[in-house]
Amino acid sequence: MSRLDRTRTSAHQLRPFFSSQNLLNRADGSAQFDFGESSVMCSVVGPSEVKLRDEKLDKATIEVVVRPLVGLPGIKDKAREQAIRETLEPLVLSGLHPRTGIQIVVQTMKDDGCILATAFNATILALLDAGIPLKSILGAVTCIVDNNSNEILLDPTTEELANAKSTHTFVFDNKSSITSKEEQQESVDVATLYSDSTGLFSEEEYFECAQICYKAVQAVHGFIRTAVQKKLEKEYQQIHS
Amino acid sequence: MASITTEQESELLIVLPGDQLPESGLMEDSSAAHRLTLGPGLAPMDDDSITAVKAGILKHNAVGNRWWVESNQRRYVAAQGESIIGVVTGKTAEHYKVDIGASQPALLGVLAFEGATKRNKPNHNIGDSLYCRVSMANKDMEAELECMNPTTGKADGFGELKGGFIIKVSLGLARRLLDPKNLVLRLLGQHIPFEMAVGTNGKVWVNSASAQHTILLCNGIRNSEYLNAAECVAMVKSLVEKM
Repeated sequence: MSRLDRTRTSAHQLRPFFSSQNLLNRADGSAQFDFGESSVMCSVVGPSEVKLRDEKLDKATIEVVVRPLVGLPGIKDKAREQAIRETLEPLVLSGLHPRTGIQIVVQTMKDDGCILATAFNATILALLDAGIPLKSILGAVTCIVDNNSNEILLDPTTEELANAKSTHTFVFDNKSSITSKEEQQESVDVATLYSDSTGLFSEEEYFECAQICYKAVQAVHGFIRTAVQKKLEKEYQQIHS
Repeated sequence: MASITTEQESELLIVLPGDQLPESGLMEDSSAAHRLTLGPGLAPMDDDSITAVKAGILKHNAVGNRWWVESNQRRYVAAQGESIIGVVTGKTAEHYKVDIGASQPALLGVLAFEGATKRNKPNHNIGDSLYCRVSMANKDMEAELECMNPTTGKADGFGELKGGFIIKVSLGLARRLLDPKNLVLRLLGQHIPFEMAVGTNGKVWVNSASAQHTILLCNGIRNSEYLNAAECVAMVKSLVEKM
């Protein structure tokens, strides 16, 4: 079956990734992450001073601000802020920087679907760039169940999202990897950090989506590793040449 | 579980948060003393594994079986014993408040200078830049500074930085500038005589005979971060020619 997105031939194909780190001059860390024509920029400031009202005595306060493509932030953006913050809070070793604040600003640059997944990936790259201590890294992918064919399509574009019966976004950490077929379901459960689904779907469909996204996220993790490696090699070329 | 595999083609062993260190590799060359020292970027986790918490290059020193992750960031987190550059932002009867680029201003005792007594002590004003040493750093407290060597009580180069210009660079670049063999500093020094102080908090103080030279030096240092040796030579050459 052919996809609405003509650039891709198979249902489980992701759009090309692109990323860039250390783009902003004044932030402590920043990154851009693209899934094809969807692009999100993220900046991280911290650990820095925090308002007395938000100060936590034993750990850092994480603040997430999501800026939409145009206009003022609405309810959708507030929901994304909460999703990102609550996923990151257990991941960041905030106990190492008590009474400080870590501010994360997420700005959509181009929207062609899967903004939440793109935002998660941009955020983790920006946190790595800022040198914030983390328990592990994460990777996010969105998939849909198509209304006509009932097929699961990975990384849908806006056009494909309009035809979705249900949409699922999954975030997985990099601590567990695929072992055998039987153990796979278990490792999906262990690795899931966040899952967001809208629309009508059956239990089977949901778990199938989770499995497919989990496999796809391995490519995202690999990409993040390569991106970080490239940056470090550039920084250390003077010493190692 | 994702664990680190040594890649043959790349000599840099790069780790990301969540990568576990193989236990066998950690202890192999410490048969005499079963001790393990973990530096920045590594932490023991709840499941007794040793995991990287920062993205960077895994380094090892056989002396004392030390392991750490060499990473780069822009925000400074105070650590005891480091030499840093700060700017005085406030003054009380007992302390100067010094901005060192960390999450909180650091405290510098008014008597923490060479030969300072209650009657005779140096007077610094708001806005002065100081080269000092972190005498105490704790995550729960404000860092404390001193402007002298604690063993000898001598100034040892610490104190006010008069004149010159301060630029902010990444912490990784600041550490590389401290290397006596640093390429860009040697290249710049061949053309322009200058003096500098590098703070491990990423602040670099540069002073030379004229403001024009100082600006050129600052640009050269900033530009060098992502260049290789040949590009550094070309960059310094073009900067000097344009002057």
